[in-house]
Amino acid sequence: MDILHNLAFGFEHALTWQNLLFCAIGCTVGTLVGLLPGLGPLATISILLPLTYSIPTTGALIMLAGIYYGAQYGDSVSAITMKIPHASSIVACIDGYQMTLKGKTGLALFTAGVSSFIGGTVAIVVLAFFAPLLGEVAFLFGPADYCALMLVGFVCVSFVTTGSLLQGLAMCLIGVLLGQVGTDVNSGVQRYTMDFPFLAEGIGLVSIALGCFGIAEITKNLDNKDERTPFNGKINLIPTWREFKRIIPSALRGSAVGSFLGILPGGGPVIAQFAAYAVDKKLSKYKDEIGTGAIEGVAGQAAADEAAARTSFIPLMSIGIPENAVMALMMAAFIIKGIQPGPNMIAGHPELFWGLVASMWVGNCFLLLLNVPLVRYWLSVFKIPYAVLFPSILFFCCIGTFSVNNNLDDIFITAVFGFTGYVFLRLDLDPAPLMLGFILGPMLEENFRRALLISRGSFDIFVTRPISATLLGLIGIFVLWQLTAFILQARNAAGAHRMPEVKAAPLEG
Amino acid sequence: MNDRNLVRGLFIAAISLVFGIGALRYPIGNFERAGPGLFPLMVSCLLLLIGVVSVVRSRFVERVPLAFNPKNIAIVLASLCGFALVSEHVNMIAGIVFMVFCASFAGTGEYSVVRNLKVAAGLVAVALAFQKLLGFNLPLY
Repeated sequence: MDILHNLAFGFEHALTWQNLLFCAIGCTVGTLVGLLPGLGPLATISILLPLTYSIPTTGALIMLAGIYYGAQYGDSVSAITMKIPHASSIVACIDGYQMTLKGKTGLALFTAGVSSFIGGTVAIVVLAFFAPLLGEVAFLFGPADYCALMLVGFVCVSFVTTGSLLQGLAMCLIGVLLGQVGTDVNSGVQRYTMDFPFLAEGIGLVSIALGCFGIAEITKNLDNKDERTPFNGKINLIPTWREFKRIIPSALRGSAVGSFLGILPGGGPVIAQFAAYAVDKKLSKYKDEIGTGAIEGVAGQAAADEAAARTSFIPLMSIGIPENAVMALMMAAFIIKGIQPGPNMIAGHPELFWGLVASMWVGNCFLLLLNVPLVRYWLSVFKIPYAVLFPSILFFCCIGTFSVNNNLDDIFITAVFGFTGYVFLRLDLDPAPLMLGFILGPMLEENFRRALLISRGSFDIFVTRPISATLLGLIGIFVLWQLTAFILQARNAAGAHRMPEVKAAPLEG
Repeated sequence: MNDRNLVRGLFIAAISLVFGIGALRYPIGNFERAGPGLFPLMVSCLLLLIGVVSVVRSRFVERVPLAFNPKNIAIVLASLCGFALVSEHVNMIAGIVFMVFCASFAGTGEYSVVRNLKVAAGLVAVALAFQKLLGFNLPLY
């Protein structure tokens, strides 16, 4: 009953006119920007972050959360209609686009909308139950455990986002090193500032985010010269009852998978979508149709996507450790607003926490109301030529960077990171782990130094504490598994090279 | 040299060296009382290890050519820096106009002065709305 009481308290805060408005604005703007080619949730949040500076804290966070799941939804719309694979909605391209080819765009969009709603609702229940519980567990964590948890996050995010542990870890570590720039809190020494006064407080998060995600993405799109064909098909949204019945079981399965995977470190929408899709392929009544444009192929992954997007708030709000790059950016937004996410947040700012949880459901309704009937108007965004679009995105990057400190020098830093981000892209290095490393870097150092101070310089503390020993053990198993997989693969490849030679020899004889 | 995997490894190693050598300039301390240089030094060593492994690994996997098109990124960066400089010395409206006209050189479409004027006018209107309605402190004029 406590939970119902808390939720009612949350709705009291979420349903004020002001917060309703912020939620609606966030969802709408997020969807619009998320629809644009090449701009996934990370880029959308970084570009729109400055909009929230002049808004009261609860409203700002509600709006940011709205932007996040709005962008997530907009992303899946562009995947279904145009097959533009963003980072966050690759799976929607498979069956969703097949449905578009069959002329069932409307049904696919309706399925995605309704499934997202179901997924989001399930996830909010999970969030309301588990976040306070996990928050109590978080009080058991010592500095060594926090270090281990962050390392688990690094390893998981590296593997999930880039598929290559080595490259992802490299990006995480580069992020950690970038986080070292500025004044060291313990000794007051200025590190890597090159005597520039504006670097004394560290590199601005917005500069890195906008450089790596905004500017680098724009330039990549400019380099890919392929023309986008605007979508002009007709849309018939309302499904038959038989079709509607097929959505529900798949969406519920997806919600469960998504809610669970969203909580795990490194988890989040991308991996949840793939898992839900795989589960549907095994369990669905219509599993033979999946891959050729089946409703289940869209419903399961859309539900998992929304569910994971919401439950990934749990580790951030209850332990204070973001588990993926989007949440790292959210954490930065919390801190900009003067809120330290962590076990004390729920007790210290209950109106904020429960208001945010309740607003997620309100946002869910907004998305359903705004998107399902209005989706045909959203699609006209695709008709804006890129020559108009990209100067506008550049403009938002400039204004966004400037308004953090009202300082034009920051724009030069953004330019530097735009170039760095472009080099990363060309070298096929994903900047998402860098973001996480950058935000967790200072926390990692702080906890690492504290742990060693407690143990008087001995590394035993990392293996004698049960929580950190377990977490580090998991990392060890994972790295070993990766190593064996790589060696086996290399051996198989070598074997495959040798095979033709063996075959060729008798022919000569 | 035109191998993306190799360049990637070298790039990672180079970054680790920049930060690692930089860290040596600060007091290192010991594990019990860590100095400001200890943590970055450890992270740089780890990164250097990853860089070296990447370089070694690139010898065993197939080569991927490196595609790098300097034109568009140069134009985008020039328009950003131009925006900052013009805003600082003239005002931000001039900066926005400069940025739109400069950025339009990128991409493939034909260059249209009329379209640029329209886009610039629209963005100036947005900036004015930010200033008046959202309370942004923009030095527009």
